[in-house]
Amino acid sequence: MLISRHAPSVFSVTTRMLGPAADAEDVAQDTFVSAYKALPRFQFESKFSTWLYRIAVNKCTDVLRARRPGHVSLDSPEGEEMAAWPAVDDDTPHEELERIELASELERGIQALPPLYRESFVLKHVEGLGYDEMSDILGVPRDTLKMRVYKARTLLCRSLSHLAGVR
Amino acid sequence: MKNEELVQRFVDQELSAEERIQFVVALGRDQALRERVLALEQLVLDATKLPRPLVPEGFAARVLERTAAAKPAAPALRRTGTWGRLIDALWAPRALQWNLAGAAAVACVALIAVGAVVATGVRRPVASVADAPPAGSGRAQAPVVLVRLVVVQPDARVVQAAGDFNGWNPSRTPLEQTADGAWTVTLPLEPGRYEYQFVVDGDRWIGDPFAVEQSNDGFGSRNAVLDVRLAEASL
Repeated sequence: MLISRHAPSVFSVTTRMLGPAADAEDVAQDTFVSAYKALPRFQFESKFSTWLYRIAVNKCTDVLRARRPGHVSLDSPEGEEMAAWPAVDDDTPHEELERIELASELERGIQALPPLYRESFVLKHVEGLGYDEMSDILGVPRDTLKMRVYKARTLLCRSLSHLAGVR
Repeated sequence: MKNEELVQRFVDQELSAEERIQFVVALGRDQALRERVLALEQLVLDATKLPRPLVPEGFAARVLERTAAAKPAAPALRRTGTWGRLIDALWAPRALQWNLAGAAAVACVALIAVGAVVATGVRRPVASVADAPPAGSGRAQAPVVLVRLVVVQPDARVVQAAGDFNGWNPSRTPLEQTADGAWTVTLPLEPGRYEYQFVVDGDRWIGDPFAVEQSNDGFGSRNAVLDVRLAEASL
């Protein structure tokens, strides 16, 4: 199904833009519902996935604008927020544990990025898109996106520098 | 060119051959630069390895529930011409639009697909139980039925199939090109119901309007449905 095919990408973007809270699923659902309503107007000028990403990013931006700085959802205590990420149990091998901890650090670093840097970094390096497609999605010139990705990478390198020996 | 710009373009894999040489020379002379590049490369590698967050259980059902209550906007344009009207009639519930070249290709697909079904003497692309692997040594295996998918896309560079049989991952089921622009693949499938689409050149998803059964996923798209069954003799 179209939803099954694209849900992992859409949910990945909404989760990484908004954090793994209830908002992320709501926005992912909203993305598909909006796409469904607008589907007859989709003219195949871009890939369908590009169009979905665009809708998802715009909806995330709306939510982020509505949030006050430092807002924490009362519906998503910290322990529950991590429920969407891979679980760790006592049988997890040491290397796997390190990998998961490293991923968690990186996820936290991404969450801490300013939203404009975050969306550019996620699309470029997590979703693996090229600058041209990102430009289609975000409606921002290539060079601007490259600068945002550059800033994001620099900030993340700084925030993850204490892990240099672990990796 | 400044080293910092070279670094960023190196990470983005946008350096020319000459620039790469210039960059490698700079790396050899500057340990701080090497460490910075290593940190950036490691960051990019770690980012690509991040696991995708798990889509919550029942997500698709909840979306379908909401879309069922919503009506899509009216189409901006109606097609004109014989092919356009034909395709509109065939695809009235489907919101995705086909251009005329695509419509002609789909018609060819249908003809060939029907021909393939007739040739194998079954109502649906279902093979007989004789295709099932023989019982023998080793662990017991579920019987499988060989199902041949055929599509005609003469201008395609790559054709793949995606469906319930491969987790909707087209890279797992490439079709092989045969004569006259036809593409085909034979799948060993356990009895069951499978929905699928073809993927042309990596990004164009097409259905099969002449499939015996189709499924409306509630999202304006139609999947072809394969009902794979064992021959009666095996039951």
